[in-house]
Amino acid sequence: MYRVENITQAYSQAPWRKQLQWIGLFMLAMIMVAMVAGIYLSVSAQASTAGREIQIMYADMDEMRRNIENMESKIAFLVSNAEMEKRAEKLNFSPVAADEIFYILVPGYSKPGQVTLANPSGNERPAVPTISPEYTQSLFDWLQERVFDPASPLVREVAP
Amino acid sequence: MNNLSSWRYTTLGILITALAIFVVVQMLRIQLSPQAQALRDKGELYSGAWTTLTPARGQIYDRWGNLLAGNNTVYEVGIVLAEIENPSTIALAMNAVVDADYDEVFSAASTLASDEAVYATLARFVTEEQKLRLEQLAEEMEAAYSNRGDTNRPSLAGITFDPRLQRSYPEKDLASNILGFVNWEGQGFFGIEEKFNDDLAGSPKRVWIPFDPNRVEEFPEVPEGTSLILTIDRTIQAEVEEVVESAIKESGSDSATIVVMDPETGDILAAATSPRLDLNEFWRYDEIFVDSTPFNRVVSETYEPGSIFKVLTMAAALDSGAVKPKTTFLDTGMIEIGGTIIRNWNSGAWGPQDMLGCMQHSLNVCLAWVATEVGANLFYQYMQDFSIGHLTGVDMAGENPGRLKLPGDEDWYEADLGTNSFGQGVAVTPIQFVMAVSALANEGKMVHPRIVLSMISDGRQYNTNSRISGTPISAKTAQRITDMLATSLETESSDALVDGYRMAGKTGTAEIPTPFGYTSNQTNASFVGWGPVDDPKLLVFVWLEKPTTSPWGSVVAAPVFRQVVERLVVLMNIPSDQMKVELLGSQ
Repeated sequence: MYRVENITQAYSQAPWRKQLQWIGLFMLAMIMVAMVAGIYLSVSAQASTAGREIQIMYADMDEMRRNIENMESKIAFLVSNAEMEKRAEKLNFSPVAADEIFYILVPGYSKPGQVTLANPSGNERPAVPTISPEYTQSLFDWLQERVFDPASPLVREVAP
Repeated sequence: MNNLSSWRYTTLGILITALAIFVVVQMLRIQLSPQAQALRDKGELYSGAWTTLTPARGQIYDRWGNLLAGNNTVYEVGIVLAEIENPSTIALAMNAVVDADYDEVFSAASTLASDEAVYATLARFVTEEQKLRLEQLAEEMEAAYSNRGDTNRPSLAGITFDPRLQRSYPEKDLASNILGFVNWEGQGFFGIEEKFNDDLAGSPKRVWIPFDPNRVEEFPEVPEGTSLILTIDRTIQAEVEEVVESAIKESGSDSATIVVMDPETGDILAAATSPRLDLNEFWRYDEIFVDSTPFNRVVSETYEPGSIFKVLTMAAALDSGAVKPKTTFLDTGMIEIGGTIIRNWNSGAWGPQDMLGCMQHSLNVCLAWVATEVGANLFYQYMQDFSIGHLTGVDMAGENPGRLKLPGDEDWYEADLGTNSFGQGVAVTPIQFVMAVSALANEGKMVHPRIVLSMISDGRQYNTNSRISGTPISAKTAQRITDMLATSLETESSDALVDGYRMAGKTGTAEIPTPFGYTSNQTNASFVGWGPVDDPKLLVFVWLEKPTTSPWGSVVAAPVFRQVVERLVVLMNIPSDQMKVELLGSQ
């Protein structure tokens, strides 16, 4: 019996070694938690940055829309009927009289049709989201998609 | 010793555990308390903002895509009260740059910031140039006084600019009567702006915008307001407005109205009247349109048309077979209908006249007789078929239906048949009369007056179609009356004749009724004409209100018609009759 205890004692680890193992395990757990926390922080920071970029882009879009409206109005002021008349007079043009016009027949010529400022009706495109899934998808969603639908494209094209 | 240590460690453990439990319980208590909920609710208020996404108001174009009504950016200038350093400087700058009231701005800027007082609006609809000037001033002050330790240093700190879109009209007063205007609040008044206000304005959406970038969501799509392409031709409109101004000046009229229509499609190419308003200064409306002056006489003002109405009477008579062009009438200078004596414009007797003569000399007696030949019921049926007394449904706000008394109405008398035949006792709007006459110029088919050519919604263009509103007369009758009126103009060497172009038309001079009858010397002078008669491309209506140089339509309105047509044939590329023959010959 005494012999068995001696053998057990001889092969058992020293207490300081056990403590070290426990400390090692604890530190490993801590490092893993820190790593997860670090990754979480990094992803959160990236998501926040992306969110902020989206906010800025929306503001930019809003400003651009206003600028486009402004520009269109400015151009319209510059080419308004009164302005164009002034320019024509400045360039020594004068209104033509009916008897000064000579008409000729041009085979195949057709009068200009109705002005087209937008696509004609009927060419409808299906609505698609304008924010890329990268900005809205969680890591879990992405993993789930890769597992269950690996054939789906990694990058999706979105409408402007 | 070991037992003592064990007891101490156990006690310490219990204490620390109790402390931890206490902390957790306390945390839960705080989290679940009503105060915490109130705090969360309050926090939620500051976590974002409700914003109304207002779509840009739809634009309005002429038929060739020239912008008639667009949008430009204006700013609301406000102040964040907590950031203000010097209210006096802000008041001075606002007064100097945007002409804001110094006392009002100073008072607003002097308000102490609190939970209730955070922001104040100083001025709305500040232009881009004014905003840039204010920003420049702010920068200059910052550069000059930032190093000064003085707490009362000049500064525009606290000023903010909130952009928004406001209507702008690049053509200023061109076609203003057709377009109408949009006020500060974005509400359309008169014309197209009022009629299509809901379509042009679009549908604003109220959305919650979180400040937290982690909670950012896709903004809902807010479709822009519907844009409109009108049938108006900007150049023709400008030319016609110029003629309106010169006609008023030359004839001494109170106002002038000219409508130009394509009789085949019903497209209104121009509709000019007076007075007009620079739509960018719509607040001057009260100053310009005094004493209930209508904004757009073309659709809103009725008047007794006088002799131009005879074209409808004669068309009805020819179409019904009551008379033929060669039917002779002995004009004795007067006729009695329903107890009322009707005389000619010069009170003279014109002897035997065929229908051409009756129209050429504009004989009231003859036309009254013609109406009796048609018969009251049939005559009024024709007038209703011509849509007299009904709304045309043209897409401009404020249309007036006019008035046509009918047999059976309390105020209709037999004498009305006689007087109505030459345009007395009947009230029409210019657009209504133009629509009626389009039947004469378009092979009997009366076209619906069209002002909107296309609508652009969700990025797609929807074109409208021209519509036939009815066929009150046959094509043969339309041809007959057109020939009759063209010959009439040629024979009398009318001032309405246009060199090289055979046009049909009729003058009108109508006394203006007063509460005591036709006792006034003032008249409405009109002319309606169309052509070239072999293939009418244009229909022109002229109305001069109370001309002073001469009361007669043949003297004041006919030359205006000629002026308009002389410009139109150039702008619309209509070759002269002779040239057309030559071109066809060469082909």
